[in-house]
Amino acid sequence: MRAYLSAFRMRRKMELQYRGAVLGGVICQVFFGLILVAIYRAMYTGKPQEIPLSHITSYVWLQQAFFRMLLASDPELTDKIRTGSIAYDLCRPLDLYGFYYVRIMAQKMTGSLLRAVPMLVFAFLLPEGWGLMLPASAAGFAWSVAGLFLGLLCVCALENITMGFTMRTLDARGMQALLNLLMMILAGNILPLTLFPDSWQRVITLLPYAQLLDAPIRLYTGDTPPSSAPGILLIQGIWVLLLTGVGILFWRANQKRLEIQGG
Amino acid sequence: MDTIRLYLHSMRMLIRSQLQYPISFFLQTLAQLVMEGGEMLAVILLVDRFEHLNQWGAGDLYFFFGLMSVTFYLTECFGRGITGNFPYLVRTGQLDTFLVRPRGVLTQVMCSAVDPRRITCIAVGGAALIIGSGMAAIEWTAAKVLLMAEAILCGSILILGLFMIEAIFCIYSVKSIELVNALTYGGRSACEYPIDTYPRPLRVLFTVFAPFALTLHVPGAWILGKPLFGWPEWAVWVSPVSGIVFFWVIWGCFQKAMRHYRSTGS
Repeated sequence: MRAYLSAFRMRRKMELQYRGAVLGGVICQVFFGLILVAIYRAMYTGKPQEIPLSHITSYVWLQQAFFRMLLASDPELTDKIRTGSIAYDLCRPLDLYGFYYVRIMAQKMTGSLLRAVPMLVFAFLLPEGWGLMLPASAAGFAWSVAGLFLGLLCVCALENITMGFTMRTLDARGMQALLNLLMMILAGNILPLTLFPDSWQRVITLLPYAQLLDAPIRLYTGDTPPSSAPGILLIQGIWVLLLTGVGILFWRANQKRLEIQGG
Repeated sequence: MDTIRLYLHSMRMLIRSQLQYPISFFLQTLAQLVMEGGEMLAVILLVDRFEHLNQWGAGDLYFFFGLMSVTFYLTECFGRGITGNFPYLVRTGQLDTFLVRPRGVLTQVMCSAVDPRRITCIAVGGAALIIGSGMAAIEWTAAKVLLMAEAILCGSILILGLFMIEAIFCIYSVKSIELVNALTYGGRSACEYPIDTYPRPLRVLFTVFAPFALTLHVPGAWILGKPLFGWPEWAVWVSPVSGIVFFWVIWGCFQKAMRHYRSTGS
């Protein structure tokens, strides 16, 4: 356990190194957020919807703030698979899956928190109807933080499944891109899931991708009342177990027939 | 003529080399389809929910979306040299080899890459244009076709100019400044919707500084029969030229910056 903890810490330190790059990323993300909010505002003036505009703008800002949680992968691992130095990792007295799971978790968690804090502060300061609203209730906020953590576990498990494909095919740029795009759409990054047709939402919100950010954001804005929060967290928990289980089995199967590149 | 022949020859070679990994190529092309399909889906779902955006109906919005994505991805496909690894060439010092060859730097950069995977994005954009023009009941005339061709061409040149900004910054700072991408990719995302969607600061940004509105939206709106800004017809033909002017200014800056170029290579 201590070994995993120190792997986590090392990775976290590394992620904290590139603070200059973070600033550029934050400004970019803020700019995109403003554009999206402007579009939804213009749409709302034409035909207001049942769901309040402030919920939509908050959804946009929270999605933009935690963008890094969705799209961050371990470039070292991809390199290791391609060059064959993954062989060294196989010699470690650690479980390969667990080792890379904590690494990606440190990366996603540190990276997204580092960006989310300044962005959310900025979004709070925006005028009414543009920015981030306060959480609907204290209970809702507490549930959404718990939901966000489960979402993080979920996205790390998904990332490792994607990496499993890389191990199999060595160059998985295609597969990786495909799965990442699917994630961007179904996690609500391109269009808030709350604006999808209501009949679609019933299915989409059950899929694993909706557990990453959509579920916690709805708890935050109060689209999901705190009373139904335990049910939401249960769905998230089930997906975490399922995806981690599938990932572990996938990696085991890969390890048995792993081809080591290089020479 | 010789330059064009050289460009076409490079394109042929590059495409052949990319097809050496057919499965990866196929999957990446498919990924592009999912990406642009996802963007299109977002517009469809928004239109389904909100029905219209200011004076623009569903067909108009599809048309604007298609115009932007055809323009942007044609540029990314054939101008990949500039939109892709131009900053990288500067950063790694690979630009040195370009300077000793008896051809212009820009020609060589243009010849250095092509991205045929974008074909699916262009197809999605084309489909959006066709669907949009059908739904908005556009009566096509020779003048409208010509104007659309002008808009796409000038828009492409504008986008090439925007991507060159990053390369110019790279010459001075060596480090790639991804912030500039806010203007290119941000401009693409923003200007998929007509310019009057936005509040004044964004409108000024995308009309004056990165004139997407002048190159794409003004002609697009005229084709749809709902002229923007109440401008007369001749202005519609002139306004896309702003894309060429923009590129020309950036090109001048690039020439200036090249005098400061110091190789980073070993």
